[in-house]
Amino acid sequence: MISNEAKKEIDFWVSKYPEGRESSAVMQALTIVQKENGGSLNSELINDVAEYLEMPAISVQEVATFYENYNHKPVGKHVLRFCHNISCMLNGSDELISYLEDKLGVKTGEVSKDGLVSVKKVECLGACVGGPMCQIGDQYHEHLTKDKLDNILENLT
Amino acid sequence: MSDIEIEIDGQLVRANQGDSIINIADREGIEVPRFCYHKKLSVAANCRMCLVDVEGVPKAQPACSTPAANGMKIHTKNDKAKFAQKAVMEFLLINHPLDCPICDQGGECELQDVAMEYGSDVSKFNEGKRIVPDKGIGALIQTDMTRCIHCTRCVRFGAEVAGIVEMGGTGRGEGVKIEPFLTEGIQSELSGNMIDVCPVGALTSKPFRYEARTWQMNAVQSVARHDLVGSNIYTQSYRGKVKRVVARDNDSINETWISDRDRFSYEGLNHESRALKPKVKIDGLWQETDWQEALKFAIDGIKNNANSSEQFGVLSSKYASLEEFYLLQKLARNFGTENIDFRLDQAQLSNASSLESTITLSEIESIDHALIVGSYTRLEQPMINHRIRKATLNGASVNTINSKKFDFNYKTGLDVLTSPQKLRATLQSVLKAIHNKTNKDAPSFLSQVSPEDIHNKIADDLIESKNGVIVLGEHLNSNLDSIAITSLIEQIASAADLKIANITLSGNSLSAEKVGFMPDEKGMSAASMFNESTKAFLLMDVDLEYDFFDSKSAQDCFNQEDVFVVALSSFENQSLLNGADVILPMASYYETSGTHINFDGQAQSFSASVKSPGDSKPGWKIIKVMADLFELEGFDYIDSTQVKEQALQLSRNKSSFKDVDFENFDDSQITTHWQYTPYVTDSVTRRASALQKTNIGMIDSAFVSEATAKKLGIGNDDLYLGVPVSIVDSVAEDYVFVHTNQARKA
Ligand code: SF4
Ligand code: FES
Ligand code: FES
Repeated sequence: MISNEAKKEIDFWVSKYPEGRESSAVMQALTIVQKENGGSLNSELINDVAEYLEMPAISVQEVATFYENYNHKPVGKHVLRFCHNISCMLNGSDELISYLEDKLGVKTGEVSKDGLVSVKKVECLGACVGGPMCQIGDQYHEHLTKDKLDNILENLT
Repeated sequence: MSDIEIEIDGQLVRANQGDSIINIADREGIEVPRFCYHKKLSVAANCRMCLVDVEGVPKAQPACSTPAANGMKIHTKNDKAKFAQKAVMEFLLINHPLDCPICDQGGECELQDVAMEYGSDVSKFNEGKRIVPDKGIGALIQTDMTRCIHCTRCVRFGAEVAGIVEMGGTGRGEGVKIEPFLTEGIQSELSGNMIDVCPVGALTSKPFRYEARTWQMNAVQSVARHDLVGSNIYTQSYRGKVKRVVARDNDSINETWISDRDRFSYEGLNHESRALKPKVKIDGLWQETDWQEALKFAIDGIKNNANSSEQFGVLSSKYASLEEFYLLQKLARNFGTENIDFRLDQAQLSNASSLESTITLSEIESIDHALIVGSYTRLEQPMINHRIRKATLNGASVNTINSKKFDFNYKTGLDVLTSPQKLRATLQSVLKAIHNKTNKDAPSFLSQVSPEDIHNKIADDLIESKNGVIVLGEHLNSNLDSIAITSLIEQIASAADLKIANITLSGNSLSAEKVGFMPDEKGMSAASMFNESTKAFLLMDVDLEYDFFDSKSAQDCFNQEDVFVVALSSFENQSLLNGADVILPMASYYETSGTHINFDGQAQSFSASVKSPGDSKPGWKIIKVMADLFELEGFDYIDSTQVKEQALQLSRNKSSFKDVDFENFDDSQITTHWQYTPYVTDSVTRRASALQKTNIGMIDSAFVSEATAKKLGIGNDDLYLGVPVSIVDSVAEDYVFVHTNQARKA
């Protein structure tokens, strides 16, 4: 179920597009319902968004699975969105991701036992000059090393 | 009109500005490989297989999405084009499995063909191929999505033709998957066409799986008989059995599509209940016998039971061939009876046969407005509905007057909910509104009628349309007020200058009408034959449970000791064994030659695709022999072509409209409409097992409003006449809409 507040927010975005083009707001709508649902989507929500914007459910699913900002499994309180694209990879992102997985005892895509963090591999975030890098919330963390990661994890509450 | 000149492979060709290169090449017979391009779908240009060299353009260009311009020089086979095509082929094959030996598409696979031509025999790719798990999409279509090359033809088919967006491309990059959102199975009544459009073995026919190889089968051109369209098909048979049905192009009839009913009904032909041997019932016990004995028994029985020729009645389903209808009515009339009918499911003899369609299939595409009355067109006449949908894509509007709000695959504007008993009042209001608005004097029976807002709006749309049509559907058949309704439809059409599409009858009804397979004034209609007066019956392809409006009185009549029933039938079931005294096994669809007359009045003939099983014989031959045994004149035909020629010479004597009593009508009763799912409409389809397992095939609900449910004392999931009740608000009051695959009980 989409809450009334969320619907209001979606309406705001819908109003930015010409009439009959409600579906243009699908990305914002997904972002809004995902946030409300604690950071992830599920088929029920996809269906709800589809119904609300009068789109076929599969078309919403296409968008939701194309973009990496949508999660389809429950996530931790903080999501470490780790870039594994070419520049970051050349600078050792793979090794860091393995390190993270070992340290947290989870694989990418899973949530740590305390529910605090989950790790997700994403494509280039446009910060290649600072690779290897990851995004947590609205924050970019660049030139990462194992020490830096330890530090970051300690500060996550 | 050709306004430009281009050169393809050194050949000068005239073309229209803006034509795509692939279009022109196809017309000129120049082969360009392709996967995603399909002539009836939008251009996606995502497979890149069609790359060709256009002089002056540095990179090879996709032929499907590049418009031709004057003076263009195109090479489809030079080094640059070949290099590009080979490179694309190599990419496409990276993830495609090498499982052609166990793939049903093998032998008719576009990828296989193109790979033979453009592929390399050695792969540079040593890494693992990707594997895509199958979700399963229902009983008709087998998926092997690992073979999918993401051409998106199936996706575009759903969005553009079926009008139900079911398949989509999820994920990205190497993770792209073509899949439906849910796994409940596909909802569309045209879904099988996805099998035809899929260029590879990702989507194949499930009932056909592993049955035969395409090159082993014998393909015969044929015509589907399930609806008014007569879609063109190929039957493909192996060892004397029809194994598959696929679409055959015919732009004016079915374009390149066929409905799932046309495609998958053939399964019923191989059903275990086929009648294979002539049988007679002696002292209540069935005995198999030979043709000679059975025919003698049948003829004697009819002669002995019918004391006068008026005590003999002849009935047929709507699905016989023109030739069979013609011969059977001739037999009956020469015998001396006028008790002839095929309209077994009509509650009362309506004026429906007098209401002539005044529009053709392809004209429907260019209408600007349609008013649909009493029809769930999408399920009843899928290909006619498809034409209406095409019109809506060009901007046509559609209003409906139905007893329930149905799921159309296009947007409807105004939906008026009206129960069958109130339909006359609604139509009268619309007619009155039209008269008011056009300042014409309304006939006197409308003097008391005052249209409401909605009727005025419906009338406005009808008057404003320049090229509108009024569609009258099969719900009319069970309406006890059908005489008034047909007449009102005719009056509305003439008052608002509309075309008429009469789709109340289905199958091969237009053949039956053409040869007069119905009684004249002296004869009795199907509905009135089941009284004491008829003592001998000849039935052709009639199912005693499903086909009659009032199957109980029909069966009661047939079951009587002193009523003698001869059944020409392709199938046996308990009710037939109870009711009949002789069963003469008859050839079914695709087992005999014949003719179908479609909505446009086109008589399409077909030959037999396979031999009929067991001792069964073509219906027209059985009737001819019976006529000879009755010693009737005029049955010395050598082949069915002679029969057809005679039949086509008959011109239908259009019966005039019956008078309507507009004064006295009781509309206070609660009524029930019994609507069959499209997969139990005829004897063959009813036995096609895969169709029964689809979402459409499993429909089984009695829809009723909350208020009416209260009156009837029923609640959700109770049974109403054996059908689970579903309380909804999209259905008319004082009315139950039973949509089911079960035999009619009301
Ligand atoms: S399933 Fe077939 S039609 Fe659909 S995208 Fe894949 S290859 Fe194309
Ligand atoms: S490759 Fe990692 S940010 Fe661009
Ligand atoms: S056919 Fe032209 S790109 Fe696919």
